[in-house]
Amino acid sequence: MLPTHDLDQTPRTLLVSESSSFLDPKNRVSAQVEQLRFNHQVSVLLPECSSAPSHLDSVLNSFSSFYLIRKLPVYELLDRHFLEAAVYHGAVYGLSYRTRIDEDNSIALTPNGHLTLSLDKDSFELLGFEGKPSRFNHRTATRFVVSVDLTDSSMAPGGRGYLRLLTGLTSRLQLQTDFLLSHHPGSGASLQSLLSRYDWSEHRPEVSCRVLSDLSCPALRSCDPHSLLEWLGAVDAGCHKIPSCHRSPVPTRRRRFVTVLTHLCSLSCRCYLEQPRLESWVSMTVHGFVDSPVSWGDREHGFLRGGENFYTLMMFHDHTYQLHLATGAHDACPP
Amino acid sequence: SVRFVHHLLKEKDSLKAKAFTEAFLRKSIKRPERFDLQNMLSHKALILGYNRPRKEKRKGTKAKGLNARQKRELKVFEIKPEHQRYELFLPLHELWRQYIIDLCSGLKPTSNPQAVQQKLLKADFHGAIITVVRSKCPSYVGTSGILVQEFKHVFKIITKEDKLKVIPKRSSVFAVEINGFVSHIYGSRFEHRASERSAKKFKVRGTIDL
Repeated sequence: MLPTHDLDQTPRTLLVSESSSFLDPKNRVSAQVEQLRFNHQVSVLLPECSSAPSHLDSVLNSFSSFYLIRKLPVYELLDRHFLEAAVYHGAVYGLSYRTRIDEDNSIALTPNGHLTLSLDKDSFELLGFEGKPSRFNHRTATRFVVSVDLTDSSMAPGGRGYLRLLTGLTSRLQLQTDFLLSHHPGSGASLQSLLSRYDWSEHRPEVSCRVLSDLSCPALRSCDPHSLLEWLGAVDAGCHKIPSCHRSPVPTRRRRFVTVLTHLCSLSCRCYLEQPRLESWVSMTVHGFVDSPVSWGDREHGFLRGGENFYTLMMFHDHTYQLHLATGAHDACPP
Repeated sequence: SVRFVHHLLKEKDSLKAKAFTEAFLRKSIKRPERFDLQNMLSHKALILGYNRPRKEKRKGTKAKGLNARQKRELKVFEIKPEHQRYELFLPLHELWRQYIIDLCSGLKPTSNPQAVQQKLLKADFHGAIITVVRSKCPSYVGTSGILVQEFKHVFKIITKEDKLKVIPKRSSVFAVEINGFVSHIYGSRFEHRASERSAKKFKVRGTIDL
């Protein structure tokens, strides 16, 4: 087998890297990282400390809890009161839980009022609402995406589009999934009316901390993005033998299901960096859900060839940062 | 030649004419020994200059019918707007129900669905209330009404809002309901004229994907 044939078989990935400074007024870091909405894991790597600093701890613990609703019928997301209380204010994130993007029907609700249903062929033909075939179909159309803007005038409660979708979801295709719901801090009351009718449970992201000692790390500023990400991935996975130059003890911390942006997290990391250290850098990696129907910028996310989508923010002592946005083969380009 | 004919016309005596004619013929015609010319030529009637009127060919007794262009011009299958009302077709629907119940010899809850299905395959559906259950095109899903005309590739139905809708048969699944029996018709396999379908044998094919 020729080497070029092998290269064609490996799934392609896309990596966008940007480096700038927090002090630069034109930096787009908030706008960019906000677009990956559904994230399930955040890893923070801090060099040369044996336990996490207290303000970082308090920030991590202040993340709002999220709710898991069992067997939510999807037409409830179109309920008039829920729309008025939560969706129109732009405060709600929702994602179907444990539905595989390539086999089952997945649903995502983004804070800007977009409801995205990723359906297989039979469900789409039964539902009877306008939709497009997925961009990532191989030869025959097997997946269809129905994307609805709930804030649009045609989808106002009582309008034609709204009634058609509602009759579709109630009488023709009764979709029911486990659903994860989360909200912006401070608007928890808007979800109460929905939650009170179904079986729900509240969860908090879990935090775990690990101290790795005797870890060698490469020269981070001059390293190229691929090897940097490889090294970070190896550290996260717990490999011990990583070739490079320095040695230092490095703790790592993990979280589960974080949707609210880690803006606060990055701020506290920067405060930590201001104190003098030998190795002054912090890395924060946020992993998006592999099974989510939407990825960067509300565009469609495919899974057929590896569904990773994540970003890594490397922050340095002098307020500069390097942001690496990565995605898999069947995805839109990160911003 | 002309000289002899002229000579013949001059002779008034018929006997002389006869003798002359015979002598002329003997001289001019070759006489092959094989044939007996005398017998061949005598007692034969030769009709000169009289045409029988030809018999008229019988036209085919059955009418040829109109072709598609003529039908479109005459607008045979058009339903005028004043006739496009749902209430006007409800009696037709009742008639159809009676017809189907008689066809399936009383549609009791205990009757075998297979037998009912076989009878329905050859039945006529004009007047049935059909609903589109699944379709490749999402906007057809959910339309329901009384079937007024069935063509080779489309159904024409009238909805409760008095709208005449044309729904292509291909890539759609229709549901017909009688007395609690719901039957799903896969339109892609149903693309025959109603008159031809009663004589058609349906093959058992594998799964049907729209």
